[in-house]
Amino acid sequence: MIDVGLNPRDRFDPARARGRGTVDLLRSFRTAASLGWKMEANWTDPVLFFIYSVAKPVASALILVFMLQVIAGPAGIALRPFVIVGSALWSFVVSGVAGLAWAVLDDRERYRMLKYIYVSPSSFLTVLLGRGLARLAVGAMGAGITLAVGVIVLGVPFNVLAVDWPLLVIVLVLGVITICSLAVVMAAVCLQTRQESWDYPEVVVGALFLVVGAVFPLSVLPLPLQVFGLISPLSWWIAGVRQALFPGGPSSIGGPGSLWQQLSGQLNPNPVQIVLVLLVTGAIVTLGSAMLFRAGEARAKDRGLIDRTTGS
Amino acid sequence: MTAPGVAQPNPSPPLPAKPAAPVLRAFVGRPTASPQAAASWTPRQVWANNLRSVVGRAYPRIIGLTREPSWLIFQMLLPFLTTSSFVFVYRALDAPQAYIGFVVIGGAMTAFWLNVVWMMAAQLYWEKDQGNLELYFAAPMNVMSVLIGMAVGGLVMSSTRAVAILFIATVVFGVSFSISQWTLLIAVFVLTLAALYGFGMMLASLFVMWGREAFHLTQLMTEPVYFVSGLNFPVGRLGFIGALAIALIPLAVGLDAMRQLAFVSTGPTGTPEPWVEALILVAMTIVFIGLARWLLHSMEERARREGRLTVRWR
Repeated sequence: MIDVGLNPRDRFDPARARGRGTVDLLRSFRTAASLGWKMEANWTDPVLFFIYSVAKPVASALILVFMLQVIAGPAGIALRPFVIVGSALWSFVVSGVAGLAWAVLDDRERYRMLKYIYVSPSSFLTVLLGRGLARLAVGAMGAGITLAVGVIVLGVPFNVLAVDWPLLVIVLVLGVITICSLAVVMAAVCLQTRQESWDYPEVVVGALFLVVGAVFPLSVLPLPLQVFGLISPLSWWIAGVRQALFPGGPSSIGGPGSLWQQLSGQLNPNPVQIVLVLLVTGAIVTLGSAMLFRAGEARAKDRGLIDRTTGS
Repeated sequence: MTAPGVAQPNPSPPLPAKPAAPVLRAFVGRPTASPQAAASWTPRQVWANNLRSVVGRAYPRIIGLTREPSWLIFQMLLPFLTTSSFVFVYRALDAPQAYIGFVVIGGAMTAFWLNVVWMMAAQLYWEKDQGNLELYFAAPMNVMSVLIGMAVGGLVMSSTRAVAILFIATVVFGVSFSISQWTLLIAVFVLTLAALYGFGMMLASLFVMWGREAFHLTQLMTEPVYFVSGLNFPVGRLGFIGALAIALIPLAVGLDAMRQLAFVSTGPTGTPEPWVEALILVAMTIVFIGLARWLLHSMEERARREGRLTVRWR
């Protein structure tokens, strides 16, 4: 067809079929994030939503604080910063990892839209990440409030001027990427499983809770479990945030008799080591999660699981 | 009781004038003289039908276990690791061995609580979203039998998880129980399950009425309830909040009674005696199941009258 003389605006735009790359990805992500937030938050008034969002992480922290109180009595107060930070960060992990998996289950089992989303021109992974962002934000809010409750109500000594801000920013960024990667893996798992998978993300994260030193140092664990802890990026993320917020405080990675001490000869890792190990382990998990997601997606497509609905 | 079920409507020729041997197969499996006769059920038929509904609703939950192998990992192995985390918290604090037993019993009971929250309380809401709820209301059965079927299926599912946690943790962490009143312990356990599932049945109706809030309520009923129920520590240490939990939450009272009976050597916990807590559980069971029946009946009436409760995604 000869298009000489046509206004360039009237010509066929090949990008409409091929896609516009990053621009399209960003638009899909923004739309999915907006949708996710509306689904999370627009059903009630902000006060009630706030209560729902913070009750769970604050209660998780209180369980641990009471365990300390029951056993250690007043001596347990010294351990509160360790437990509060770990518990707050862990609520963020739970929320972040569950977000993507629940997006899959919501769209497949409840709204039955997953098949339409899947065949739309948007990148499936981008849409899922966007949907999960709202829950990640809710988790971040819950973690922040838990820390605030720890400082204001439970008397955790906190000095803003002492915070190692560069370390905090670096480990937070790397940590969020790692959490999203784990969430992608759980989304791939939930693509394969049936409706009862609602609690799978929490169960998996609960199991990881054992080996990451969130509320007790890794040195308490048997050596084989400490190995799992040392290769988990989440352990280094929590240790990094702890180190940044309370410089010089007890480390969850090292300590007397820990595997870290045996391997490195140092009592505790320093901030540079924490960032480097977090970077390496986080990169491995991120690459692995992308591969697992592709494999899971291919399997789900092959077996017709994307438009399957189940019940029990 | 009247019920649909007329397989073949009365054809245009009138019925024979004199009563004769049944000629119409008006109700499946029971030849009757007329649709009216088919719709009139004897108490035995009503009971048999409701029992079939219980079995039918429990069936997918029990058989589903054999069709989802991933369940073995996600529902048995990984929850044990979660429980182990709290065991290691106590180990890090050099806590007495009985506290590790507390955590193990708490971990086992969470299996039932999670099942009650996710697969009882929130279930009717999911069913509504999936379009099944209106079928339940239209079916010729008592909707309570659906809830009982859900409870029976859920009990089987969560029992396997609870037994796995209890058995593996007891072996791995060397928990030693000191039990003096086996009969009371078993009675308390059964009563706890009855009260828990009664509580779940009651919440099921409420969650349908609360709509989209249901999902968030399930979140609110995990860790916050674990905390006030003293999941990993003696609930008596919570003072007034603990007393309130014992009066209102079956998980709290059941856990406390079982701990008192399974770890006699730990001494007084500042909570009522186990037999008193058993009576509280009996009262809870009666109240929750009674309320569940009343709420379900109200909801059914409302669903039929207004036709809104069964509409999806509200």
